[in-house]
Amino acid sequence: MLPSPISDPPTSSAAAASDDVDNNLQPFFVLHKALPRKSERKSSGCGRARRKIDLPPSSPKSIEKSDVSSPEEANDRIYEQLRLQAFNRTWSKIDSTIKDVLRQINLNLFDEVQRWVLESFSNIKSIRPHKVSEIQRPYPLVTDTICRKIPTALIFTKNAEFVDDLLTFQELGGHLKSSGCHVAYLSSLDFSVKHGISGCLRSLLRQLVSEAPDMADIYILASWYCEPENYDNPILLIIDDMERCCGAVLAEFITMLSEWVIKIPIIFIMGVATTFDAPRRLLLSDAQQHLHPSKFTLGSPCEKMNALVESVLVKSCSGFSIGHKVAAFLRNYFLRHDGTITSFVRALKLACIKHFEMEPLSFLGLDIPDEDCEIFQHGQCDSLPDSLRNHAFNLPSCQREKNLKGTGGSLIHGLTELRTLQKGWSSAVMCLFEVGKQKNMQLLDIFCEAIDPTLYNLRASDHNLQLSSLTGRSLIEGKSGFAKGGFIAQAIQQVRELPAASLSHLLNIWVVHIEEMNEIQDRVRELQSIISSGGGGPVLKEKCTDIHKRSISLSAGKGTLSVNDKAAMLLEGMVRKFLMPIECVPFHEIVCFKHVDVLQSALIGDPRRTIQVDLLKSPTYLQCRCCSRRGNVLSSSMHDTSIIYSLAQEYGDIINLPDWYQSFKATVSAGTKTKRKLQHSPASKKVKATPSESEATIQARFCRAVTELQITGLIRMPSKRRPDFVQRVAFGL
Amino acid sequence: MTVAGKAQALLRRRLCSPTFAHAAFKSSPESNYSKLRFLISSSIAEACNNSVLLLGPRGSGKIAVVELVLEDLKAEHPDAISVIRLNGLLHSDGNCALKEIARQLCMEHQLLFSKMASSDDNSQFMIDMLRECGLAHKTVIFVLDEFDLFTQGKQRLLYSLLDAMQTLNSQAVVIGVSCRLDADQLLEKRIRSRFSHRKLLFVPPSKEDIQRLLEYLLHLPKDSSFPSKYVTEFNTRLSNILSDKKFKEIVDSLLDVDGSVSNLLRLLFRAVSYMDMESGLLSLENFKSAYLCTYRQPKIDNLKDASILELYILVCMNRLETKEQNSYNFNSIMKEYKAIHDAYKTSDNYANNVCLRAFEHLLEQELIGFTDSKGRTPSIEFRPVKLLISSRELYQGLKSNSSCPAILQKLFDHESYK
Amino acid sequence: MGTEGATPERRTTRSSSSLSKPSLDAPKTPLSPPQSLPFDLLFSDEPLSIDTLLSNLPGRSAQILEISRLIGPPNSPMLPLLLYGGVSTGKTSAILQIFHHLNRPFVYTSCRSCHSPRILFESVLNQLLLHRRHPGNGYSSARRCERASDFVNLLRDALSQVTGSLRGKKSKLDGNREMIYLIFDNVERIRSWNKSSDILALLFRLFDVLNFPEVGLIYISNAAPDAYYSMTGSVEPVSVHFPDYTVDDLFNILMLRSRANPKLYSSFLSVVLKPFFRVTRRIDELATAFDPLFQKYCEPLADLNLVPDESMKRRLFVRLQPHLAASLNETFRFPSECSFEAIKEGTCSKKGNIRKLNGRETSNELDFHMSVSAKYLLISAFLASRNPATLDAAFFDSTGGSNNHKRRRKSSQAIMDQKDETAEEMHMKGPGSFPLERLLAIFQCITSVGEGTLEEEQLEDGMMTESGNVGLMSDVLLQLSTLCNANFICKSGSCPLEGSTRYRSTVDEDVALKVARSINFPLSKYLYRR
Repeated sequence: MLPSPISDPPTSSAAAASDDVDNNLQPFFVLHKALPRKSERKSSGCGRARRKIDLPPSSPKSIEKSDVSSPEEANDRIYEQLRLQAFNRTWSKIDSTIKDVLRQINLNLFDEVQRWVLESFSNIKSIRPHKVSEIQRPYPLVTDTICRKIPTALIFTKNAEFVDDLLTFQELGGHLKSSGCHVAYLSSLDFSVKHGISGCLRSLLRQLVSEAPDMADIYILASWYCEPENYDNPILLIIDDMERCCGAVLAEFITMLSEWVIKIPIIFIMGVATTFDAPRRLLLSDAQQHLHPSKFTLGSPCEKMNALVESVLVKSCSGFSIGHKVAAFLRNYFLRHDGTITSFVRALKLACIKHFEMEPLSFLGLDIPDEDCEIFQHGQCDSLPDSLRNHAFNLPSCQREKNLKGTGGSLIHGLTELRTLQKGWSSAVMCLFEVGKQKNMQLLDIFCEAIDPTLYNLRASDHNLQLSSLTGRSLIEGKSGFAKGGFIAQAIQQVRELPAASLSHLLNIWVVHIEEMNEIQDRVRELQSIISSGGGGPVLKEKCTDIHKRSISLSAGKGTLSVNDKAAMLLEGMVRKFLMPIECVPFHEIVCFKHVDVLQSALIGDPRRTIQVDLLKSPTYLQCRCCSRRGNVLSSSMHDTSIIYSLAQEYGDIINLPDWYQSFKATVSAGTKTKRKLQHSPASKKVKATPSESEATIQARFCRAVTELQITGLIRMPSKRRPDFVQRVAFGL
Repeated sequence: MTVAGKAQALLRRRLCSPTFAHAAFKSSPESNYSKLRFLISSSIAEACNNSVLLLGPRGSGKIAVVELVLEDLKAEHPDAISVIRLNGLLHSDGNCALKEIARQLCMEHQLLFSKMASSDDNSQFMIDMLRECGLAHKTVIFVLDEFDLFTQGKQRLLYSLLDAMQTLNSQAVVIGVSCRLDADQLLEKRIRSRFSHRKLLFVPPSKEDIQRLLEYLLHLPKDSSFPSKYVTEFNTRLSNILSDKKFKEIVDSLLDVDGSVSNLLRLLFRAVSYMDMESGLLSLENFKSAYLCTYRQPKIDNLKDASILELYILVCMNRLETKEQNSYNFNSIMKEYKAIHDAYKTSDNYANNVCLRAFEHLLEQELIGFTDSKGRTPSIEFRPVKLLISSRELYQGLKSNSSCPAILQKLFDHESYK
Repeated sequence: MGTEGATPERRTTRSSSSLSKPSLDAPKTPLSPPQSLPFDLLFSDEPLSIDTLLSNLPGRSAQILEISRLIGPPNSPMLPLLLYGGVSTGKTSAILQIFHHLNRPFVYTSCRSCHSPRILFESVLNQLLLHRRHPGNGYSSARRCERASDFVNLLRDALSQVTGSLRGKKSKLDGNREMIYLIFDNVERIRSWNKSSDILALLFRLFDVLNFPEVGLIYISNAAPDAYYSMTGSVEPVSVHFPDYTVDDLFNILMLRSRANPKLYSSFLSVVLKPFFRVTRRIDELATAFDPLFQKYCEPLADLNLVPDESMKRRLFVRLQPHLAASLNETFRFPSECSFEAIKEGTCSKKGNIRKLNGRETSNELDFHMSVSAKYLLISAFLASRNPATLDAAFFDSTGGSNNHKRRRKSSQAIMDQKDETAEEMHMKGPGSFPLERLLAIFQCITSVGEGTLEEEQLEDGMMTESGNVGLMSDVLLQLSTLCNANFICKSGSCPLEGSTRYRSTVDEDVALKVARSINFPLSKYLYRR
C-alpha cells in the first residue's frame, strides 16, 4: 500500500490550509485506487484539521494544542462528552417542536376532511338499501343514481416536491382511522401497467381483509364489508401521489369501484401535488364522470416555514441559533434548490451538529434558557479549564468589548444578558412579522434581515444623527436608516397605512407578543385606548381614504401625530432598541453558528466539480516528489486517470480515441525512460515497476482510466454511430 | 298455459335445438347424415379404426348431424360405443385434452378418475383403455369439435391418438369437425399420413330443402295435445305464409347473406317469439319485423345517435382525409374545427376539453380508431387517428341523423362533390 | 352503465347530516347472521308489475317488450341474446328490471368487476352454487377454476344441479324443465384481457358447447356485434339494439329522477336541455352537469314549491345564462355546491382550507410551490420540447464563441426550410423528446440569462459568491426527478441509437408562462413560434 499521506506533515498542513481541501478529499477518493483508505483517512483527518480551521488564527488554542498534555486531553474528552449530550438534548428539543408545529398546521385540515367524509358517507347511506343481503347481490341495485360517483377529496399539497407530505397522509389516515373508518393506502406503485387493476385490488385487500385469498376481486371486499364488525363504516382509499399513477389503470379502477360505490361506501382521498387540472390530464372523461371531487389544500410550504422559523429560530428556547450568513444560506437553499421543509430541517440539523462539534463552549448554551440553573452554570463556568475560559474570552465578540474581565461570573453574566436580549429581539421580530403578514411577507425574510449585523450597525449609526434632528416628518417619510426596500422598512411603512380596524387588531396581537417588556406594553395600551376612545378619529378616517394627503394633514396637526404614526414610531423604537442581532452580542459564538462554508460544503459538496479539480491538480494532494517540482506538466508518474483527464482538456466536446491513446502512450512512455527516479515515487510504484512497458499494459491502463472517467460521469462511452469518439459530458468547473 | 303459449313453447324448443332441425334430412340417402352413419356403423361392424373430417361453414349443422348419428347408433348397438367429446376451444393444449379424455373414459366405464394424474399417466391410461375396448369389441368414438384448433402448436394429442389407433389393435373412430375447409392441410406430415382423408363437406341446403325444412319446423303436429281445429288453422295459415312471395323474398335475401341453417333458425326464432298470443297464429308481419331486426347496421345506428359535436368532429376528420393528410390527430382535428368556425361562424364552438370528451365517445363507439398500436405518449390527443367508416356511410349517417345541422350537410357535400 | 331510477335529493341528506356530529354513531342496520342469509337467484322482494317496469324506464318500452318476447314464456328455451348500445342507455337496468318483473332465476356477472377469466368463472359458479364468502372459508370461492375446460364441466354440473333443485321446488310439474339465465355484462371489456379471443369465442359459443337447453344466455355490451366477429366466423347471437335517448326521453328520465318541484324543474330543463343535447346525449354526463346548474337556477327563489310564471322563468333564465355558457365548456368540475362548504362558512371561518373552485379560473400566479432551480429546469425542459434542436444555437449562443455567427446564419437558413414541416410535426408528435445533455445545456444558458434576477437577490442576501447558476447546477438531477414525479416531465422511450433515456415535457404553454412569470424570465423571447 502507498505510504499514507496523513503521517507526513505536509499533507495534513495542506489539508488544513483550506476547508474545501478538507472536504475535497472525499470525492477525490472516488477513484478506486485509494478507496480502501477513504474511511480511516476521513475519520482521523477531519477532526484535527477542523479544530485548527475553526479557531481564529491568532487563538491560543494552537499553542494549547501544541503543548497538549495528558490531563488536558482528558478534559477534552469530558467536554466532548458534554457537548455530545448537549447536542442530543438540544436537537431532541428542536425536533419535537418542529413536529408539533407541523402537526398543528395540518390539524384543522384533518378535521375538515373528517367532516367531509362523514358528510359524503351519510349521503351514500341515504341511497343504499338497509338489507345486507341486497349488498351481497352480484348485480347492481336497481334503485340507483343515474351516474354513480365516488366522493373524492383532492388534497392539494401546494408543493411540487412531495417529500414533506408523505408523513402528512399517514397522519391523516391515522386521524380518520381513529374515528372508525377503514383506511387503506395505495401508492402509485400499485397502479402499474404491468399488474393492472388486480395489483391495486390486491394491495387494497391485503390491507383491509386479514385472510385474503390469492385471487383478488371486488366480491371479496363486498362480503368482507358485510361482516357485522366492518359494516356501516366508510372505506377510505388514500392515494398520496396521484400524478404518478398510471392514468389508464387508475381510470379502470375508478370505473370498477363506481359500480360498487352504493353498496360499498368507498371514498377516495387523493394527494395532488401540482395544479387542479392534473386529474383532468390524467384520467379519461368517463373516469372523471365517476368522481365527485371536492378540494382541500394543505398549508403551503411557506406557511409551514413561517411557523417553523417562528417556533425554532425566533422564539428559540434551545441554546442554539444561527448567524446571518447561515440563515441567508438556508433561505437560499430553501427557495432555490428544493423547497422542502424536510431538507431545511436536515440542513438545520447539520448546522446544529457542526456547531456542537466545532464550538468548544457550546455545551454552555444549552442551559441558557432556564433561569434557575445559574448555580449549576456557576459550577460549570468556574470549573472550566483555563484553556476553555481563555477561548471564551478570546472570542472575537468579547475582544470587541474591552470591559470584560475573564472570570466565570462575567461569562455567566454575558450569557444571561444574551438570553434577555434574545427575548426582546424575538418579540420585536414577531411584531414586525405581524405587520408583514398584511403584505404577506415571509418570516424567513424578516428573520434574515433582523439578524443582519451590518444593517444593525447602519441603523445604529444613523439613529445617532437622527437624534440630533428628530422630526416626525423624517420618521413619517420612512427615511430612517433601513435597507432601502428592506422588509423591516416596508413593515413600518405598512403600519402607517393600516386602516383603523386592522391596526387595533394588530395592537392586540402585539400585546400578546410583548408580555414581559412593560414600558412598551404601556405604550401599546395607550395607543389602544386612543383608538377605542376614537381619538384622532378624523385623521384615521382620512388615513383610510388616502395616504397621499397624510403629510399635509400632519404638517397641519404637527403635535398630534396620528395613531398610525405613533404605532409606527413605537415599532421603529422597538426595532432600534431590541432588534440587536445576536452576532453583535458578546459570547454569541457559544450559541450561534456562523460558518456558512462548513455547512455548505457539508450540504452541497458539488462532487462533479471537485472531482474535476482533483483530477486536474492531483499533485497538490499526493505530495510526491516527482510531480511536485515541475508545475502542472504531465509526468508519467501521475495517476493514469488524471493524466487522461488532463489530456482530455485539449479536446472539444468530442474526443478522438486514437489520438487520445497516442498522447497518453507518449506521456507514459516518457515516464519509463526516467525509471530510476520513479522507483522512489510513491504514487505509482506498483504499476510502473515492470521494466518493459508492453503495449498491452498501456492499453489496459488506458482502458481502465477511461472507464474510471466514465464511472465518475465525466465522459460518455462511444456511441454506435461514432465508434471511435467519446463524448465529454462535463465542461468547465 | 294457453294453447297459443304451448304452441309457441313447442316451436321455440324446436328452433333452439339444431339436432331437431337437421333431423329433417335424415331420410334422404345422399345426406351427410346417411354418409356419416354408414361410415361409422361399418367401422363398428368390421371393428376397424377410422377417421373422418366434417368440414363446412358455421351453423351448417355438423355437430348436430354427428349427434344424431351417435344417438341412433347408440340405440342400435347399446354398449358397443363409447363417445369422447373434445372441443378445440377448451382442450387445444395436449395435457388438458388428455385429462379430459381420461375423465370421460372413466365416466363411461364407471372408473374412478384422479385429478392428480400426470399427463403421461393419462395418455398411458387412454392407450390401455383403447386396447381394452379393442379387445372388448367396443368402438371408441372421438369427436373433436373445432378440429383446426387442435392443430395449433405441436399436435401431440392428435399424434398420440392416431398413432395409438394404428399400432395397437383398437377400434376407434376420430371425427374431426371444423369450419376451416383446409383443416387437413394444417396437419403435420406424420399425422396426415396416419389420417384417412375422408371428408364430408357441408353445403348450405338448396331452396327446396329450405322449403321442406320450414314446413318441418313450423307445422304443428296433428296428433298432439293441441285442439285439432287450432292446429289445422295454424297450419293452413302457415302454409299460406310460406307460399307467399314476400316471404320467399325475405328468406332468399336472408340466405343470400348467410345460407346456413342456424341463420334461418335465428330468423324463425325471432318471428315465433313475436307471435301474436291472442290469436296464437303466425303472421307475415312477424317475419318482416324479425327480418328488419336481424339486419341492422351498427355504424349507421351509432351515427344516428351521435351528438352534433361528435358529427362535427367526424366531418372534420373526413375533410382532413379528403385533403390526403396522411396522418392526423386530435390537435389537427381541432385546428380544422376551429377553422370551420372561423369560416362559418357556427353556434357550436366548444372548448377543447369538451371536444376531447366527444372525441373519446367516438373512440368508444368505434366510429374512429387509433392508427398506432400502443399509446407511448401519455396523452391521447397526440396519437394519430383515422375514421373507421367510409365517407358514404358518414353521408348516410348525416342524412339519417335527425338533429344534424344543415351547415354540416353543406360542408360535407361541398367538399365531397367538388 | 347508467341505470335510471329515483336518486334521493341531495339537499335533504345534507340537512340531515349537517347536524350529524363527527362520530360514527349511525343507526346500525340489523344484520342477519351470515350463514342463514336468504340468498337465491331471484329478486328478494315481490315482482314488479309490467306497468311499473315500463314507467321506470322511459323511452325503453320497445326494447323491454322485445326482450321479454325473446326470453319468452317460463321454462321455454331461448337462443343467446345480445343487448348492445351506447354507454348509459339503460341496458343493465332494463334487463335487471325485466327479471325483477319475470321473477325468474338468473346469474349476473359484470366483466368489469370480474377483471380476469378466473374471477369471471368463479363468480358464476359461486352464484350458481349459492356459495357465500365469509371469513370462515377465508373468502375463498366455491370451486377453484382457472381453465375454460374445467369451467365448462363445473358449469354443466352446477346447472343440472340447480335446475333439478328448481324443478323439485316447483310444485306444478309440467313437461319441460325450469330455465336459468346467465347474464354477462360489459362483455366488451373482455377484449382488453390477454388471450381475449379464446374467452370471447368460448363465451359466445357457450350455448353450443354446453348444449344444455335449459340455460338462457344474455350478453350485454357497449360494442356493436360486429366488434366480436372473429377470424373463424362466429355464431351471432340474437341482438337487440339500445339506441341513445331522444330529447323527450331524456326529459322524462330527468323529470322522473328529480325530486324537486316538477313545474320548476321542467321549466329548468326546457331551458337547459337543448343546448346540452348538442354536446352530449349521455344521460350521466347531462345529469352531472345539471345538478349544480339547477342549484344556481333555484338560488334566487324563496320557496322551491312555487309554480314559476313566464316572467319569472325569463328572469331565472337570464340569471342562469352565464353559468350555462360556462358549464357547457366544462367537463370536470370541482363542485362549488360541495355540501359541507355551507358548514364551513358557518363554523370555521379561520383560514379557508377549502376554497371553492369553479372549474376554469385563470389565476396569473402559480398556485403551488417550486424551488427556483426546479422552475428553471421546467422552463428549459419546455423549451427543449418545443423548439427544434437545430435552433438551440440560434436562440441561446451556448458556445459563446466567434463561430456562432455562421452557426446562426446556418440555423436561420434551417428555420427557413424547416418551418412548415416542423410546425406540422409539432402538431402531430406534440412535445418533442430530448436527451439529458440538451436539457442541461439549455438549463445552463437560461440560468446564466436569469443571472440578472438572481443577482440582486444575492446582494441582498450576502452569500452565494459564485455565480448563481453554479449554485443552481448543484443538484439539478434531484430537481429532474422531482419534475418527473410531478408528471411535468415524462421519461419517454430510450433512443435506439445510444441507450440514453430521453425526456419529454408535458406542461402546456400557459403553465410554462406562469412559471416564467414567477421568476420573471422572458420565456416568449426564446419560444420558437411557428
